[in-house]
Amino acid sequence: MGKLLGAICMPHVMFPPDGVEEAAERVFAGMMEIRRIVERLNPTLIVMAAGDHFNNFDLAVQIPIGVVVADEMTSLADAGLPSQVFPGHREFAEGFVRFASKHDFEIVQIEEVRPDHGIAFPKTVVDPAGHIPIVPVYLNAVIPVPPSPARCHRLGQVLKGYVEDCRPADEKVLVIGTGGLSHWLRVPGEGRIAEDFDSHVIAALIDGDSARIAALPSEEIIAASGNGGLEIISWLFAAAAAEGGFGRKVFYEPIPAWVTGMGAIELLHLSDPD
Amino acid sequence: MTVAPYYIHRMIQAIHRDPEACAAFASDPAPYYARYGLDQRQIALLEDASVASMTELGVHPNLQMKYLRMRTPRPAAGESALPGPLDAYLDRLLEKRNG
Repeated sequence: MGKLLGAICMPHVMFPPDGVEEAAERVFAGMMEIRRIVERLNPTLIVMAAGDHFNNFDLAVQIPIGVVVADEMTSLADAGLPSQVFPGHREFAEGFVRFASKHDFEIVQIEEVRPDHGIAFPKTVVDPAGHIPIVPVYLNAVIPVPPSPARCHRLGQVLKGYVEDCRPADEKVLVIGTGGLSHWLRVPGEGRIAEDFDSHVIAALIDGDSARIAALPSEEIIAASGNGGLEIISWLFAAAAAEGGFGRKVFYEPIPAWVTGMGAIELLHLSDPD
Repeated sequence: MTVAPYYIHRMIQAIHRDPEACAAFASDPAPYYARYGLDQRQIALLEDASVASMTELGVHPNLQMKYLRMRTPRPAAGESALPGPLDAYLDRLLEKRNG
């Protein structure tokens, strides 16, 4: 059986530090702490859940859930990031899609994609040398009918089963969920940050109670944390995959100038990763 | 919640995917508004571009972001990074990759 090292949930962008220098530096320090965590864990593969920001998938074809099966992918140069080539893992990805098909998930396989900052920023944080293969799992929160929190959570459990039942013993998988936390983007209420809801989500996930958040309807999460807040479906996927892991908050900074509650957690299985 | 007619979203998506169209739109959007059949009220709301106007028109928030960028002339994307929100952190972020 393969080894699930655990999960990290983290934002997928930062904004200029102007006027919020100290908070921005704390967030950046948190990102570097995550980099050190991943370096210590030394995964052989990263499964990264994120939403696309209408750079690959938009209203023309609305894909709720997709997995990138490509051997490699070249990221989009967006949010200030340069374009980068990331190695994929076709055999893992195709196997996961087939495994999931036996567990009530028909997942879109993606051969051609230019991952935007939703993948490229966290990948750069956790793997600056760019050597660790990555399997992106697209959970597209911004389409009119997004995958439900419960469905994303269940898919994380399916991933856990796939790694533990079907993968080789020398494979060490880290799951990363990116996005959030609360933010209202280009809608009435833009600028609000729901600190209480963010704290509630963080507490539930690090306490091993992600199912409680996953039981909420999408509409309720959006009402409580903004249209951007639904990005926590990627956190729920990651948390479900890491079920039983030891949870810890890495950082939380509500930054009004960034109109976002910026947070990160780890959910790790504590045995020696090597 | 109002949802804009698909032809408005289609216009934004089509222009966003095409760097040449982006440049042309930034310099003169009128031909695009005509091609996609927008009426004067819809054009006025788009041109205002406030959250209130966009909400009244029903433009998807992510496509609002695309539209706002399309209105500003900028170099073609290519493979080099364009200015973006991560600029202030890039040197430290990419340290190990470059080093």
